[in-house]
Amino acid sequence: MNLRDKLRAVGGSGGARTKQEDGGSAAPGDCRYLAVKRPLSEFPGALAVRGETLEKMTGTEMPSPFDPKRILYLDTETTGLRGSGTVAFLVGLGYLTEEGFEIHQFLMRDYDEETYLLKHVEAGMNRFDMLCTFNGSTFDVPLLEGRLLMNRFRRDCLDKPHIDLLQLARRVWKLRLKRCNLGRLETVVLGAPRGEDLPGSEVPKRYFTYLKTKQESLLDDILTHNAQDIASLCVLLTHMAEMYEHPEQVAFSEDLYSMGRSMEKNRRPEEARRYYQLARMGRMRGEAGLALGRNLRRAGERDQAEALWSEMIAHGAGGVQPYIEMAKLLEHRKRDYKGALEMTERALLRLSEERLREDRTVQETKNALQYRRRRLKKRLASRPQNDDAGRPEEER
Amino acid sequence: MNVTQLADQLRKDPHFMENVTRWEVVPPRPARTADFPESVDPRIRDVLAKRGIHALYTHQAQSLAATERGEDVTVVTPTASGKTLCYNLPVLSAILKNPDARALYLFPTKALSADQVSELYEMIELMGADIKTYTYDGDTPAAARKAIRQAGHIVITNPDMLHSGILPHHTKWVKLFENLKFIVIDEIHTYRGIFGSNLANVLRRLMRLCDFYGSHPQFILCSATIANPRELATTLTGREVTLIDDNGAPMGERHFVFYNPPVINRQLGIRKGSIPVTRAISGLLLKNGISSITFARSRLTVEVLTKYLKDMVRDPLGNAGRVRGYRGGYLPSERREIERGLRAGQVDAVVSTNALELGIDIGSLDACVLCGYPGTIASAWQQAGRAGRRQSASIVFFVASSSAIDQYIVTHPDYFLKKSPENALLNPDNLYVLISHFKCAAFELPFEDGDGFGNAPGTEEMLDYLDEAQILHHVDGRYHWSSEDFPASQISLRSAAEENFVIIDITDPARHRVVGEMDRFTVPMLLHENAIYMHEGRQFQVEKLDFEACKAYIRAADTGYYTDADLNLNLSLLDIEKEENTARGYRVGLGEIKVTALVTMFKKIRFDTHENLGFGRVRLPETDMHTTAMWWTMPPDLTQSIPSDTLKNGMMGVANLLRIVCPLYLMCSPQDIAVVYQVRSPVTGEPTLILYDQCPGGIGLSQKAFNMREMLLERALQVVNDCGCPQGCPSCVGPVGEVGSDGKPTAIRILKELMA
Repeated sequence: MNLRDKLRAVGGSGGARTKQEDGGSAAPGDCRYLAVKRPLSEFPGALAVRGETLEKMTGTEMPSPFDPKRILYLDTETTGLRGSGTVAFLVGLGYLTEEGFEIHQFLMRDYDEETYLLKHVEAGMNRFDMLCTFNGSTFDVPLLEGRLLMNRFRRDCLDKPHIDLLQLARRVWKLRLKRCNLGRLETVVLGAPRGEDLPGSEVPKRYFTYLKTKQESLLDDILTHNAQDIASLCVLLTHMAEMYEHPEQVAFSEDLYSMGRSMEKNRRPEEARRYYQLARMGRMRGEAGLALGRNLRRAGERDQAEALWSEMIAHGAGGVQPYIEMAKLLEHRKRDYKGALEMTERALLRLSEERLREDRTVQETKNALQYRRRRLKKRLASRPQNDDAGRPEEER
Repeated sequence: MNVTQLADQLRKDPHFMENVTRWEVVPPRPARTADFPESVDPRIRDVLAKRGIHALYTHQAQSLAATERGEDVTVVTPTASGKTLCYNLPVLSAILKNPDARALYLFPTKALSADQVSELYEMIELMGADIKTYTYDGDTPAAARKAIRQAGHIVITNPDMLHSGILPHHTKWVKLFENLKFIVIDEIHTYRGIFGSNLANVLRRLMRLCDFYGSHPQFILCSATIANPRELATTLTGREVTLIDDNGAPMGERHFVFYNPPVINRQLGIRKGSIPVTRAISGLLLKNGISSITFARSRLTVEVLTKYLKDMVRDPLGNAGRVRGYRGGYLPSERREIERGLRAGQVDAVVSTNALELGIDIGSLDACVLCGYPGTIASAWQQAGRAGRRQSASIVFFVASSSAIDQYIVTHPDYFLKKSPENALLNPDNLYVLISHFKCAAFELPFEDGDGFGNAPGTEEMLDYLDEAQILHHVDGRYHWSSEDFPASQISLRSAAEENFVIIDITDPARHRVVGEMDRFTVPMLLHENAIYMHEGRQFQVEKLDFEACKAYIRAADTGYYTDADLNLNLSLLDIEKEENTARGYRVGLGEIKVTALVTMFKKIRFDTHENLGFGRVRLPETDMHTTAMWWTMPPDLTQSIPSDTLKNGMMGVANLLRIVCPLYLMCSPQDIAVVYQVRSPVTGEPTLILYDQCPGGIGLSQKAFNMREMLLERALQVVNDCGCPQGCPSCVGPVGEVGSDGKPTAIRILKELMA
């Protein structure tokens, strides 16, 4: 029994495949290359995106002088999802010009064309200052890095500021939309649902079928899908930049609140206040109020914070928390123990009224309040009220 | 009382001594040392001096010298001989010299890695050096992984993680692969059989990637004592290695006591159980303040013995805490606490499964009790090595159970005491294993025309086959991975077949949990519907076997019986590799066979009494297995001169003897090989004894058995000759009820004829 027969026996199936010769339409020594141009009218505002807005959004420095035409939009289609054996068989690059949006797609018709594809991608990337992707920081960029490495290319073309729209989108929409894949954002946020589209999960299978049959039409859907992804990146980036620049035009309180949180994360607390203020006008009144109050307290704006807590208590916003904050402020800042005790009692009352789920956090809050009440009573008993009220003391 | 006093007392006790089959005293051995070579970084020498180490043992110095000469090294030394320095010294020196240097440590278990990390940490901290040592395994948090990939000087992992977590993601490990200087593999004797065959291929993949990244790492391997360390190391790594096996560590006097519990029923040949005897011996040690470790074979036995010993010393002062149990399933923190207690001398007695057998540092104890043979001599020595002071005397008790193998050892102690007879075998070229790793390797890096894969044979045919099967895609001189699967996730290194069945416990409808895996060739025997499946001493009934989905659903059941499936085996010959016609007219052959197994029914057998309670039907498809086999046809003189029933009984007896003897010499568990007798064999057309690897593709057991067949027959004859039973018992040819009254003499006759 020779090795081949044994292999058949071991592997069960197997069967020979009829190899199809390549159609011959290929120029030897290169990969397939497609270029599409989309009119500028499909990308309103894209050329007006400002560097400082992107800096604000991403928390990273943008090249100066900034030019939105120097952002390279990138998306790959791959043979799988993980591991060093996964190959990007199609890389699409997009960029703005004064006339419109150019999309260049590089497709390897077989594995031997990968090095040509990478050569084009490397050259393309080197012509731009910045990279913009959707989930590129965890997927496309490490993948390309691996492919460049395995084909013995330099990898420094990837070392440039990188805007990963998935990360930015999650910060803004996770609260409201839960899932933030590109298709969902196109539908819900950009109001431009895709019609017929090849699901991403079908892509590897389709490509392998193509490799076996060499029927290029099989790839049409993938090429369309990829081009659409790239165009959407530019539209989405523009849309998000506009949201940050003109928050008053943002319709959802949740989004504004999330934008405020993202500003805090990027260490821009003053910016955050602006979004929280707007968010307070909508459904996120309580949460945004609390976030704003804490922001003010951290910034040392005690008077503003006090005014905010009072207002929230008056309007019944933010649950029990404003009472607690107010009690803290009265006890430690103003040394108004009587006022603080009163506020603590109201907080406890409020807590019992609210019929919140008796979960652990509620129980912990209750314990903390009761502890505060005991301490305040002790303080009131041990020394006369108001002899040094108003002198600040650090909260422990 | 100290060990010497206790030994003297026991030797004067006739009741004890009448069951001792051998009392061996190994004289003390002084330390042999050598100075630190110049090459060891002074910072390392300082740290070692702080820990009281001022010179190296000779074997440490030798291995260091060989490593410096650029050789691949295999160190074979017993437990607690300071083998970790054999690899830590060169690795730390190399990193101190060149901070870009990297090393990869492979340990077979997680507990061992944890122990190694803490020891390395301690040394590195004392040195104040910036050497980053990390464990990279399934428990490593995702957040830490990136840092490890980038900055870890020493990455400690296990073969499974290397296979599925590191190699397929090699582009994220550039730093490691580009600068890999050392690959350290400890406890290589555990890498035998399928696990070893898989590891050898994982290493082929690793070396292929090192080639790609331009690094040329050296191997430092460590093994317990086995008969063929060099062969094992060479088969695993594909390289010639320098063997260092002259242990320079000192050892005090050692007593080895072989104890065979007395026979309590002569007719049935039943002996007193090993557990009560172990309880008495371990209790004696505990009472006399002699620190001890007791090894038991099952988790249940560990718990039972621990309870007995705790009860013995329990008092209001909390002295029961001086006795601890130790086994898999305890929380890691609890295990670490017990290990610390042992090192600090706060624990006087520990009862353990083989979980404590491998190199976890618990210091040295005065005494060790082995309750039953742990399966291999290498394990037995590692367990025995837990007792052994460098200065004072130590004692090891081996308490035999009534199993045939235990009985063989207790009646032939030389098997244990003399040079190790065990061969650790693996077969990296097992087709089933090889093909899986070809897929992984192609995924990791395309094969080019003319590429090899380590020293694997038939690379080109293999690649063309995978190309035809449309798993690889050949274009422009390269074979590219062309499937959306992630091949590494489909292979388990510790079992043979690609598709394993998962065993799912559905006792709690709200929480189905996976309790184990089984390879598809064993499934029909043990997991057919209504089979009783035993897991950790608990019984489960198989409720449903989904053959398509490879899932078995089991539910806890208290049935009072177990099941034994009736297996119809059909052997057919595929290929003869070698066949010799002997002068006596019988043939000995080696080749490949197809084993077709069909389970049609099962018996229900009551626990304890072993009554047959009835039958059940099994409806399952046949399973085929291709494997390697060796065979003996029966000498024609014999077959013509005795009735066929007598011949059959004799062959059955020889098969039983070979089943006892082979695992001892082939270092495998009894279920790894099968020995069958066929009065009219379809393999040879004659009465034949056939031995085959009970694993698809074979792992080299049959080849080895073929090569050492004279010795196997000789040992089998020795067992039957030495056995005192009149007409056959389970410890030799099998019970007389099975082999008949003529079984034993005929078996002896067959063996003599085959050896003549």
